Amino acid sequence: MISKVDRRDFIKITGIAGAGLLLGFPLKSKASGLDAGEGVFSPNAFLQISSDGSIVIWAKNPEIGQGVKTSLPMIIAEELEADWQKVEIRQAGLDERMGSQFAGGSTAIKNNWETLRMAGATARVMLVAAAATRWDVAYAECKASNAIVTHEPTGRKLTYGELADAASQQAIPPIVDLKQPRDFKLLGQSIPGVDNKAIATGQPIFGLDAKPKGMLTAVIARSPVYGGKVKKILDSEALKVSGVVQIVEITPTENPTMLVSGVAVIAKNTWAAIKGREALQIEWEPGAGAEESSTRIKNQFLQNVAQKGSIPLRDDGNVDEAFAEAAKTVEATYEVPFLYHATMEPMNYIADVKADKVECWGPTQVPGRVAGIAEMLTGIPRANVKVNQSRTGGGFGRRLMADYAAEAIFLSKAIQQPVQVVWTREDDLLNDFFRPNGIYKLKASIDNTGHISGWHINASTTSRGMFSGSRDSPHTTEVFPDGFPAGFVPNFRMEYSPVQSVVPRGAWRAPGHNATAFVDQTFLDELATAAGKDPVAMRLEILGKEEKQMHYRDHGGPFYNTKRLRQVIELVAEKSGWYQRAPQGIYRGFAAHFMFGAYVAEVLELTMSASGVPQVVRVHVAVDCGIVVNRAGALAQIEGGIVDGLGAALYGGVTIENGAAAQRNFDTYRLIRYKEAPEVITYLVDSTENPEGLGEMSLPPVSAALCNAIFAATGRRIYKLPVKDNELFQNI
Amino acid sequence: MPIYTLQINNRTVEVEADPDTPLLWVLRDELELKGTKFGCGKAQCGACTVHLNGAAVRSCVLPVSALEYAQITTIEGLSADGSHPVQQAWMEVDVPQCGYCQAGQIMSAAALIERNSNPSDKDIAAAMSGNICRCGTYPRIKQAVLLAAKYARK
Ligand code: FES
Ligand code: FES
Repeated sequence: MISKVDRRDFIKITGIAGAGLLLGFPLKSKASGLDAGEGVFSPNAFLQISSDGSIVIWAKNPEIGQGVKTSLPMIIAEELEADWQKVEIRQAGLDERMGSQFAGGSTAIKNNWETLRMAGATARVMLVAAAATRWDVAYAECKASNAIVTHEPTGRKLTYGELADAASQQAIPPIVDLKQPRDFKLLGQSIPGVDNKAIATGQPIFGLDAKPKGMLTAVIARSPVYGGKVKKILDSEALKVSGVVQIVEITPTENPTMLVSGVAVIAKNTWAAIKGREALQIEWEPGAGAEESSTRIKNQFLQNVAQKGSIPLRDDGNVDEAFAEAAKTVEATYEVPFLYHATMEPMNYIADVKADKVECWGPTQVPGRVAGIAEMLTGIPRANVKVNQSRTGGGFGRRLMADYAAEAIFLSKAIQQPVQVVWTREDDLLNDFFRPNGIYKLKASIDNTGHISGWHINASTTSRGMFSGSRDSPHTTEVFPDGFPAGFVPNFRMEYSPVQSVVPRGAWRAPGHNATAFVDQTFLDELATAAGKDPVAMRLEILGKEEKQMHYRDHGGPFYNTKRLRQVIELVAEKSGWYQRAPQGIYRGFAAHFMFGAYVAEVLELTMSASGVPQVVRVHVAVDCGIVVNRAGALAQIEGGIVDGLGAALYGGVTIENGAAAQRNFDTYRLIRYKEAPEVITYLVDSTENPEGLGEMSLPPVSAALCNAIFAATGRRIYKLPVKDNELFQNI
Repeated sequence: MPIYTLQINNRTVEVEADPDTPLLWVLRDELELKGTKFGCGKAQCGACTVHLNGAAVRSCVLPVSALEYAQITTIEGLSADGSHPVQQAWMEVDVPQCGYCQAGQIMSAAALIERNSNPSDKDIAAAMSGNICRCGTYPRIKQAVLLAAKYARK
């Protein structure tokens, strides 16, 4: 546990040297309407204290529903010793003084933990030093709490507001004391989302709600098949639609994650743009992708896993010998579909490109990438690109791509007016970057002592890394050679073969893991059955009693700790009553997973209706994510991830026919609904380890826990997702 | 284009629009009432839910020409200060994640509680299953509806 951070390290961490430390440069507070003479204490880009005592903290990262507009400022407020009830939280725009600003990989909390603590603590130390100077007493005799500094021996007090001006004259402290976790007052509490009231009263806080003066709306016709290009445009009918202003063709970029070929109907309002697009006649050059289908891709997968994988990833011991000497072998082939992101706020973005500057608004997980694209498409230097961060109606990885922002920038540049690009739900589904589909062929052996002696996985997926043109090996986004039970099974082989396709693929909540946890954790369940063991007991047996740091080369590594994994498994087993017989009519399934630094174990309970429809009634989940920042936020992420993961496992799946998605809207792409959602009971491990993000990790194990419970109920194994695509469950 | 007279949030407004323009886009683009959300345009997700003479309806499939003389309430009209029992409960239970679906959820819940302030689990499931939440806030929606009903009974 780091308790002291050198300021030079801090500056290295944050990259806010100079520019961020506005000491001796008191700003005038606009918001508070103070007299011009009064100062404002703004020691770094993250916070500002005015002489009237008002405190503003900036939320640096995109808020996409993961709660960072609340949790990141909480970290600052804790070290600052501010009174949370009185702090005003403002969303920051893209601002290089704040370091990297993005939403992805569940990294916001862990990557900003020290930086934001330092930001708050630096300000606190300067306020306390200002008070000590004012009273002419020792620094150590003064204490900050609730935005007040107290001289403990005499009980004298000064508020932060009273100290703001003097604090801004203080030297920057070379070393800053961070609080000990046991002294945290705010962190670990349940703090409601800072935008709750704005949301509950319908304030215009989302990207789609923004409307800069003079804004027009664009709805874009894109190729009906992936990779198609505009050949001929007949726009006379579209231009007749009242409200339609202009038709603009979009030139595609070479990389399909940026701009695809299209024709934009630009209108005075959304409905006119939608109607205008309906009236547009376009002849398309379909290109090579017009024949693409799920069947073609699946055949390719099957061919691949029938032979040696093109990329060998791990080969411990001798798998062939283990299989030859086995008491028993088990084989299974798993299949997962393309998944649609389905953010409730469809893609949309606003750009206002002027001769020498650009301003943007809209939902994104990557404001920095938007700025880079703006520079690339307009030639206007990044320093003159302003990116405002709107509250974002869901991300789930979809908005790591900024294709729709590129469209807005392209169009605004073309017509020299602010334009909002609006995608309909049909646009959003067809032009998604899907979770890759794949096939995973597994074989394992159990020796005559009842232990797993060999494990062989041969996987083939439509690698998303390969789609976006990443230089990394195409397996890195798909499978994890160090994932449990690798390293425990003495003979272990993993191989992989990518399949390329025109179908767009991208990161989907818990990328890679959302498929591998299903595969590994259902297969383990099947092996436990084959070995005649309890599934929980078998995992604990594999992990062993001794604490080990397991090598883990993927995100969340370089190690994972067996004791922490063991602890969540034991915790959920105990709390859910796993070792007692399940109540009549309740069937249970278990799964556990490590990803992105956090440990999760789940016990799922379901009932079966008379017609054989599983209803998930309850999910028990134990999580070790280190220190919990916002308890309510953590619980929400865990619950939401479980509900979301269940929906995807039960119903989610995109099929490709004739070069395009066969599903169009929520009538054909089914999402989980209220009546299908279970109760979720969460157990958080008390920990003083540094905090890990929580946006993704509860999701991966739930599909396996579900399918293992279905096995408990029916004796049938599910090898193919979604569950509804299995013959037995077609009526769900 | 024809002009329509609408009753929205107890105000009378006139809008010029194509007869087939969905109420959703009239609210959002013409009246600057952005609280009502666009999710699917096909009556599938509930993001655009408003009240029409007190009943929860999907504004994305309601043509403006069919709405003259109807009483329409949007999330902005439920209460501007968030004092409606459903809004109160939503904030207290801390329901929202991304928040995008929540105006629709709140409108569906408010219509339910207006006609039944003691809803059973089944009643809640029937009223709330037309609203999709990709963030998976359903467990807290349940708590919030029950709490709102309690407030409404007082
Ligand atoms: S937008 Fe109206 S129901 Fe989805
Ligand atoms: S809160 Fe995000 S969709 Fe419901």
